Parts: sequence; structure tokens; C-alpha cells
Amino acid sequence: MFLTPEILTLQILNLIFLSFGTIAFILSIKIALKWDLNATTKLQYSLEKQSFLTATIIKYIFTLKIPLFLFFIFTLDKLSNILPGAMCAAGVVNATVYGNYLLVLKVINIYIFGFWLVLHYVDIKQPTLPYTKQKFQFFIVIYFLLLIEIIIEYLMFSSIDISKIVNCCGTLYSSAATSFISKLFLISNQTILFVFYFNFILIIFSYIKKYKQLFSIVNFLFIIVSIISLILFFGTYIYELPTHHCPFCYLQKDYYYVGYLIYILLFLGTFNGLLVGFSTDDILTNNSFKKSIIFNTLFVLLVSAYPIVFFIKNGVWL
Amino acid sequence: MIKLHNLTKIYELNKNNKVVALDNINLEFQQGELIILKGASGSGKSTILSLLAGLSKPTNGEVIIQDQRISKLPDDFLALFRRENIGFIFQKYNLIPTMSVWENIALPLIPTNPDETILKEKLSKVMQQFNISHKENSIVKNLSGGEQQRVAIARAMINNPNIIIADEPTANLDEKLSLHFIQILKQLKSSNKTIIVATHDPLFFDLDFVDKIINIHNGRVQ
Repeated sequence: MFLTPEILTLQILNLIFLSFGTIAFILSIKIALKWDLNATTKLQYSLEKQSFLTATIIKYIFTLKIPLFLFFIFTLDKLSNILPGAMCAAGVVNATVYGNYLLVLKVINIYIFGFWLVLHYVDIKQPTLPYTKQKFQFFIVIYFLLLIEIIIEYLMFSSIDISKIVNCCGTLYSSAATSFISKLFLISNQTILFVFYFNFILIIFSYIKKYKQLFSIVNFLFIIVSIISLILFFGTYIYELPTHHCPFCYLQKDYYYVGYLIYILLFLGTFNGLLVGFSTDDILTNNSFKKSIIFNTLFVLLVSAYPIVFFIKNGVWL
Repeated sequence: MIKLHNLTKIYELNKNNKVVALDNINLEFQQGELIILKGASGSGKSTILSLLAGLSKPTNGEVIIQDQRISKLPDDFLALFRRENIGFIFQKYNLIPTMSVWENIALPLIPTNPDETILKEKLSKVMQQFNISHKENSIVKNLSGGEQQRVAIARAMINNPNIIIADEPTANLDEKLSLHFIQILKQLKSSNKTIIVATHDPLFFDLDFVDKIINIHNGRVQ
């Protein structure tokens, strides 16, 4: 494994997360099996103390893991300067067989970590701690996802060969690509734009009608539709290049790091949207509804601004 | 009503050294009662008080106050319950020596972020009640023992709690001041407060307004 300060940071943090996560995992099993809040036994009082410790460990791991995803992307982006052929994070992701799996798993995990944090927040807001058992049962499952993520991340960084030439994003995100990505380019701009804005209208509609389940479903679809739209259409206007479709390059300084803002808004909007479908707490549901609408709208406005500004400046579409 | 149900507290100093401070205590106190817990040092009186006030958790059993299972409350809720319902007078007063009298008394109100007028009103009332108004701006470390105790009582009463807990309140006072404290207790009892005092001071044992005297010995009720 070649080491840069960023890789070293990520690996050390992963080691810390794994150590503390394993302690929390063992304690979670104990709590999940034996928790009974009504009991006034020595065991239950001991579990109550341990649950506080365990929840604190998990809370800090997840609270750090979520923003660390951005640091991971930043690391990949920085590595592209070392890898021959790579122009941005896309080249690094595709430099090993693990990259794409890791990226997808990391995206899934940040949503799941976020859900656990919300569940924990709802639990400790009530004196009866109604979700304690469920949140630790949930963590038992999440622990394996965390473990797999850490292992794949280690494998990915350790199998990067800096003497090997990798593909650049221009090759990876084009109709000539050999992966499934090339099939995306069969979709026309009109179709993807229609799906994108129709999906957003459905989000607004389900918000107005307060259809919780529908809101959650259309938010889930919006994650996929938005990423495809960014690759196929909006990205080209950020780059002002009709042939450049990379979803990573706009994370770079040349584009004022706007990619981070785009992905943060998309995450916050859709995360809150998904939360609505699972929430049984009225205040949480209402807040999530509002946050989802605000962040999704900001996301749509931001990505839509690029083609509009381009058209105003140049009088033509790409 | 306050109920102590099968209450046990064991301090585990290390794996081989456990101290059983309370052993299966069952007690019930009614609203407005004045209860004296008597017993030698180390008998478990203070442990009962700290469990009653929610300052520590039992090893077994529970404390129920006004139908609230306070031993089962998470720390944040316990702190809230304590702030609203319990006034604690400590043996060594636990005042902040470098702060003034009014600042010490106002401390329990700070988390509630009260309106300044209400704060002044409450402070003035409680300082008058416990005859400490004339020392309002004095620094606590410069006060006498009796004055410090009156500040401690005023602080315990600032939130107008239903339950007042006092741990060896006269241990650092001479007889005259102790008798004065007893008069304060009588005054509080007349306003229907539940008062629980842990003491081995004989002055408390023959008072006509005491409802119960409970003898604690080696962590058990005698």
C-alpha cells in the first residue's frame, strides 16, 4: 500500500472506528438480548449505564463517518494527481475492482448511519427510551456494513498500483465505455430532464398532500434520477463541455468545489425525504418534510441554474 | 408519595471489594411528612438520600416519587425532575465560595433562563424567608457557618420544591444555630413540604412535629 497523509488518516480512523465499533457491537448484542426497562435488577441498571456508553461510541463513529465520506472523495481526487491517466476521483475509483463497490456501499452507509443517529435522537428524547432495543439491534446489522466498508477500503487502497495506467473520466463516462455506464447514454436529454423534473414535482405534490410513503419513495427515486441527470445533462453545463459527463470533476477547485455543495444538498434533501416514510413522530415528520423540500429545492435550483445561465450567456444549448 | 422498593446499593470498589451500603430497603413517605433517618456514620443514610434525590442509581430496586420511577429515568430527565421537585441541603453546603449570596441562590434557576423580574422576585422572597437579604452581595466564603447554611437552604428552596432533603444539616453548627435550623424545618413542614433529614444529632429525635424516625443500621432499617 502506498501511503499519502490522507490515506494514512483514513486508515488510522478506520482502525479506531473498528476497535470502538467492535466494543459497541459486543455490548449491543448484550443490550439487544437482555434489555427490559421495567426491570429493577442489577443487570438492567448495568445495561442502562452500558447503553449510554455504547450509544455514545456509536454516535461519535457515525457523526464522524458521514462527513468523512467527503474527505474520502477528496482523497480520491488528490490521488488522481499520482495515478497515471487519472484526471479526477473517477480514475482512482476505477483503478481497482473494489472502487465502485466501495463507493456505492459508502453512499448506502451514510444514509443508514444517518438513520441510526435519528433513531437514537428520537429514543433519548423520551424518558421511557422506547427504541433502545431496536437501535442496538439495528447497530448489530450496521456493524457488518461498517466492517465490510472498512475492509473494502483497505483492500482498495492496498491494491492501487501507481505504475499502472488507469482510465480517465472522459473514457469512463462516455457512450464508448465498456461498463453499464455506457447504457445510460442511450437515454436522451429530453427524457432524463422530463423524469428529473417530474420526479421533483411528485416530491412537491406528496409534500403538499402529506403522503408520507409516496414522499419517501419519490425521494429514493430522486437519488438515482438526480445522479443520472447530473452525469447525462447538468454536469455538461457545469463543465460547459458537451462531451464531459464526469460526476467527480466538479468536486475540484477548477469548479469552485461546487460538487460538494451539490451532493450535500442532494443527500440532505433525500435523507430527510426517506426519513418521513419511517418516522412515527409527528414533530420529526414535519421537520423532515420541510428540510427535504428545502434542500431538494435548493439542489434543483442549483443544478438548473447552470444550463439557464449558459443559455443566457451564449444563446444556445449544449 | 415517596416509595423505596427493595432498594439495594452496592459500591464495587474493585472485583473483590464490595460495600453493601443498602440492603433491600422498603419505605414509604407521605406528602407533608417530616422524616428523620438516624444512624451512625456509614450506616447508609446518605446513600438513601442520594438515591432519593436521583444523584445516584440503585444496584437493585427502585425509588418512586409522585408515581415517577425516578431510578429508571435517563440522566437528562432525572436532572429535570430533580430541578423541579427536589431541594437538597448538603452537609458541607456545597456552595460556590467565590460567588455572592444571590448568585449561589440563583444557580438552580439559570438553566430555566428566567425573566429578570421573576428572578429578582423569587430571590428576594427566598432571601427574606431565610433572613439572608442583608448579605445579598457578600461573597459566600466570608460568611459564618450559620449564614452559609441559610444560603444553602435558600438555594434548595428557590425552585419551590415539594421535597426537601437534608444530609447532616447541623453537623457544622453549634446548638443555637441548630435550633434555628429546626425552626426553619418546622416552618417548611407547615407549608406541606415533604422533608427527609439524615442526622445523628439528638436534637432531632424528640421533636413533636417529626412524623417518623427511621433507624438505619448497616444498610438496613432497624
